[in-house]
Amino acid sequence: MEYDLLLGSEGKIEFLLGNEAVVRGLYEAGVSVAAAYPGTPSSEIGDVLYKLSDRIGIKFEFSTNEKVALEVASAASAGGLRSFVFMKHVGLNVAMDSFVSLSGAGVKGGMVVFSADDPSMHSSQNEQDNRFLGKFARTIVIEPSSPQELKDYIVHAFDISEEVGHPVLIRSVTRISHVRAPVRLGEVKKKNEWKYKKSASLVLLPENAYKAQMSIVNRLEKVRSSKYNAILNSVYGDSSTLIITSGAAYNYIDEALQMLNVKARILKIGLSFPLDQEMILGEVEKAERVIFVEEGGPFLEEQVLSLCAIRSINKKFYGKINGSISTSYEMDVDRVAGFLSEIYGMPFQTKTQNLNLPERAPVLCPGCPHRATYYVAKLAMKQRGIQNAIVPTDIGCYSLGYYEPYQLGDYCFSMGSSIGSSSGFTMEAKERVVSFIGDSTFFHAGIPGLINAYHNDHNFVLVIMDNYVTAMTGGQPTPETTPPFKRVDIESVVRGIGIKNVYSMDPYDLKNSLDTFKKALDSNELAVIISKRECALEVDRKRAPSEAKVFQINQDKCNLCYNCVKNFACAAFYVDEGRVYIDPELCDGCSVCSEPLVCPFNAIEVKP
Amino acid sequence: MVSLVLAGVGGQGIITVANIVGKAALIEGKNALMTELHGMAQRGGKIVVEVRIGDYKSAIIPARSADIMLAFEELEGARNLSKLKESGVILLNRRMIHPVSLTMKIQDYPERIIAEALSKYKTINVEADQIAMNLGNRRVANTAMVGATFSTGLLNLREESLITAIKESLPEKHWDINTKAFEQGKILPAFETAKVA
Repeated sequence: MEYDLLLGSEGKIEFLLGNEAVVRGLYEAGVSVAAAYPGTPSSEIGDVLYKLSDRIGIKFEFSTNEKVALEVASAASAGGLRSFVFMKHVGLNVAMDSFVSLSGAGVKGGMVVFSADDPSMHSSQNEQDNRFLGKFARTIVIEPSSPQELKDYIVHAFDISEEVGHPVLIRSVTRISHVRAPVRLGEVKKKNEWKYKKSASLVLLPENAYKAQMSIVNRLEKVRSSKYNAILNSVYGDSSTLIITSGAAYNYIDEALQMLNVKARILKIGLSFPLDQEMILGEVEKAERVIFVEEGGPFLEEQVLSLCAIRSINKKFYGKINGSISTSYEMDVDRVAGFLSEIYGMPFQTKTQNLNLPERAPVLCPGCPHRATYYVAKLAMKQRGIQNAIVPTDIGCYSLGYYEPYQLGDYCFSMGSSIGSSSGFTMEAKERVVSFIGDSTFFHAGIPGLINAYHNDHNFVLVIMDNYVTAMTGGQPTPETTPPFKRVDIESVVRGIGIKNVYSMDPYDLKNSLDTFKKALDSNELAVIISKRECALEVDRKRAPSEAKVFQINQDKCNLCYNCVKNFACAAFYVDEGRVYIDPELCDGCSVCSEPLVCPFNAIEVKP
Repeated sequence: MVSLVLAGVGGQGIITVANIVGKAALIEGKNALMTELHGMAQRGGKIVVEVRIGDYKSAIIPARSADIMLAFEELEGARNLSKLKESGVILLNRRMIHPVSLTMKIQDYPERIIAEALSKYKTINVEADQIAMNLGNRRVANTAMVGATFSTGLLNLREESLITAIKESLPEKHWDINTKAFEQGKILPAFETAKVA
């Protein structure tokens, strides 16, 4: 069965994705409860857990958002069970309210919060370094460097958490979670028994919260002097130059030093908050100069430099604070070698070349219902003479509507922000406001915004693009998914708020959808369109390849008006010497392009 | 020690290929690392996967040091040439997937620029899509590319290990067609293998 390799016996070595190694770590650590909201680069953890949870005895759920997920996990931990919550970096912002207070309450069963950061923003809106949020919340912060360490450190993290009674934040990044490497499997521990005891420390009323502040200090002090420092930190190499590093950045240092033919002593930190002060300062004292190489911000650097200031330790320090190393974008061997070459005074040239090639922007899949919705939205606005509409959009596949030719998306920065910002725009804007949000994002953070919009009487058109799945992260369930879950109906939620102008449409039906859009645009109060059609990839996953039709262009009928490629712009179209064709390997068979509203000459037909 | 760059477009089965090569290395007791980038698009976006076999810590290949490039799509192959070392070999699947940005502007695929860029390297054409089509399932083009890579001799892995890795990576009902695709992908006869190596 799929993922059987994660259930292997101790000592076996498997080629695992970092995120798969996380799941094995949870199994080995005896975790009982896990919850998450999907987000790349953490998504595969949920995909695997979703399939394996019964077999490894972990109760797992996709919660509506990261804050809810964290609360689900923390309650299990209050009952003495080991619990786990995971998210992408920006998800921790959503969970922050409960996350910060959790430190004060402490934990009974071990609890680990897992953040997959995304330096260089391969699939994110920022590259925040969540180690700072861990320190801000005063949780323990642990940083693995490889899939093997992801698994091993998860087990250690649960042990520390339970011993000390404090939550642990594990910080991964894209280049650990999305790296595959050999992982040696370890022993599977027994799970804890449920044991819930009422305690004042779990009720953070001012009186109890006041006491909790001192418990945080005491618990962190216990970590500082624990055996785990020796397990999670390591040092090697003989040189008067000390490089302090952690996480993915560590992986690039040995090779960069080799390239430059120079030496350094490497101090690799796995337990990054609270720091093992005496050991680290001992190393700094012995060195002539100290270089900090980290993925993200100057997290270790700031902590070590403040300790050095207090102890009056004066060395040459190089890192992100003095500008020797860039504070932006992910590290790699070439970048690290480039920074080190300046510090060491060794010549190094990155050998890149630039070809002038056309960009391949991310696109909606062939058959994607969002394309049809966008096509109709543009047409309806044009027919109603609406120019320059303000178009807030949201986080999900449909944010690709930003790109040409749709260009529907001019304000977007966080989950649910489309609706809140739409209310703001309508306060003073002369332009019509039309905003877009996906189904999963609507459930995650859209509902409070919509209640606000109705209650405060903001007039805009909201399009909820409902494809029944969390598509962009690989097709996870949403609150609409059944069975075995109970289905939440979006239209009932919207109507339940009190909104009267609610329209449902099937975007594949262009003609009806166009009429619906025009009605919504004509409304002089808040209007909501629910554009309902299953994600094309989900349809593909369910049907046999033989069931899929393929379309072609009848070259005799084609009038070369180019409306299909210029305005509908499906990825399956291509142009060769001025004529339009459909790539049969890409065509999804959705048939939308054959509608007269896209091809007025009926030139697009089923390929026999 | 060998490094491979795999470049193409989402939906071409590139990650599976990298996974097969990595597993085969593991079967032979070698260390292997693999890293993938696939942006926001679920299909049709650009994909780069890097595989390193040997005693490495970094899965990301430094500039100009990959030994082999597996170009599943021509433009994406050209886009990632800066990873390939000067003596590197390109296995070029003859597949063009037109970027929407060109099609929208009624522009042709940039064949000339790509051919020029590739001409600086030893490039071997692989009709992987054709092989797959002939076998009756276009999805096995990627296994044909594994066969082609093996036949260069640069991987330094045994055929049995790759076949075992293919079987470990795919459900049993697909074993037969994929081992056929692997076999037909072995485009390089023995003498040419020796020359490349």
